[in-house]
Amino acid sequence: MDMREVDLPGIGRKFEAVTRRGDKVVLIVHDDGRREIHHYDDDDFDESISSVTFTDEEARQMAGILGGLVYKPKDLEKIELELDDLVIEWVKINEDSIAINRTIADLDIRNRYDISIIALLKADKSKTLNPGADTLIQKGDTIVFSGERQHVRAATKTLFLTEGGG
Amino acid sequence: MDHIIFEVGTALLLVAIAALLANKFNFSIIPFLIILGMIVGPHAPSIGILDFRFIESAEFISLLGRIGVLFLLFYLGLEFSIGKLIRSGKSIVTGGSIYLLINFTGGLLYGYFAGFPLLEVLIIAGIITISSSAIVAKVLVDLRRTGNTETELILGIIMFEDIFLAVYLSVISGLVLGGGTTLGESLLSIVIALAYMLTFFVIARKATPLLNRMLKIASDEVFIIVVFAALFFVAGFSETIHVAEAIGALLLGLVFSETDQGERIEHLVIPFRDFFGAIFFFSFGLSIDPTTLLDAVWLALGAVVLTIVGNFVAGMIAGRKSGLSHKASANIGLTIVSRGEFSIIVANLGIAGGLMDILSPFSALYVLTLAILGPIMTKESKRIFLFLNRIFKWTTIKPKMR
Repeated sequence: MDMREVDLPGIGRKFEAVTRRGDKVVLIVHDDGRREIHHYDDDDFDESISSVTFTDEEARQMAGILGGLVYKPKDLEKIELELDDLVIEWVKINEDSIAINRTIADLDIRNRYDISIIALLKADKSKTLNPGADTLIQKGDTIVFSGERQHVRAATKTLFLTEGGG
Repeated sequence: MDHIIFEVGTALLLVAIAALLANKFNFSIIPFLIILGMIVGPHAPSIGILDFRFIESAEFISLLGRIGVLFLLFYLGLEFSIGKLIRSGKSIVTGGSIYLLINFTGGLLYGYFAGFPLLEVLIIAGIITISSSAIVAKVLVDLRRTGNTETELILGIIMFEDIFLAVYLSVISGLVLGGGTTLGESLLSIVIALAYMLTFFVIARKATPLLNRMLKIASDEVFIIVVFAALFFVAGFSETIHVAEAIGALLLGLVFSETDQGERIEHLVIPFRDFFGAIFFFSFGLSIDPTTLLDAVWLALGAVVLTIVGNFVAGMIAGRKSGLSHKASANIGLTIVSRGEFSIIVANLGIAGGLMDILSPFSALYVLTLAILGPIMTKESKRIFLFLNRIFKWTTIKPKMR
């Protein structure tokens, strides 16, 4: 995630980032200690759709939770299990992925990327184990796949998170 | 009998009520305090023990107001640093230059075609050019726009204007207060003012280690005394060589901002700036005779229209040049259009220098209008943009799906 930092003279400091899933988030640290988080419209990055203001104390509390100091998350988005060089990984298809609305056969995944798809979780939580070649990949799907580390990495980058990823 | 404290107390009570009201309507206190000051004054009644004429205390209140100007500009100097400007990047320099070019030129032409002599033209152009940092910052925070893309550029332009203000005030104060009658004398006062400024820049660059050692004072009590002594002494000294005391305060702020203690001083000064600043706006209102306002209505209205158009066009060009959307660019002009403290400071300089009387009602009406209208335009910027978009057809608005 690229974090852009800018001074706002007379107000404070601004941190801006677009997350892997394509959400634009802006964090403002006011000189008086307040923090503000703005969330922008997915289609119009000029339009703030919601924002929250925290006092200094609240912000510290939130930071602890966000940073995993209070409760360590069971890795939801990404788990890497290593067996020497063999890796299992799962990735959520973001909107820039070139895989959206194409089948596994279309993409010729096994031959072109040297990975195999083990399972596919739809956004509505329904899952397909060992999905067939005619399975359609859609935005928001979570793909579980395995392969050698370098192939997994390459596939993650070029196939599933085509832009803004990493 | 000496009732001066009671009179000042009455004045402060009114100021407090106006500030509470402004807060209730979530508005800047500046227009409220100016109007309050205009309502009371020598023409107001005296009811029982409450004297709303403020005759005895007028001088004292105006002195407090003068101190308010010192704190306002001292703080401006502290906030500002050359480093910040360099880091802020090219688009801000371009944007700021575009803004100044359009609006300052507009102001000069306006004053000239309204038939004023040179010094008055310069003061009017100054009043028209400088946005209110206080109102703009407040509006941006209140409307939760601090995170928006265009906000960086808005604050950058404001910063640019502030530097311009510093240089401009020095030059003008040399001209207006120097009292030179010939071209040579005028030039001499400008040179003195600029040399004085340069001295401070050199001190800021070279003497920082020395100042760091001198200001390394652990006790807050002693620290504040030292800082305020420096502030009043330097400001007062400036006046003796015909450089506005406000400029002295600003330059000292600049020097202090380069030291290790810059932020400590900033925090220390804020409450004083807020308190004395409020009295400054009140005392400015007090100095305006409301019956003279009518004389300046057309002049002020024309300037208001010129400002709105000039600011909008400048914002549009600056925004588009740095790659913002039309909507975001429209927000720039509609935000920086607010006028307040700095316009009054420029006007006061003209008044102090004995220029034409019409400057006071003109600046009062002009600032009042834009201090009230400005934040409203900022708030309604979306509607204004959609309306203008229908005329100019900048972008096609996609209907929202949700």
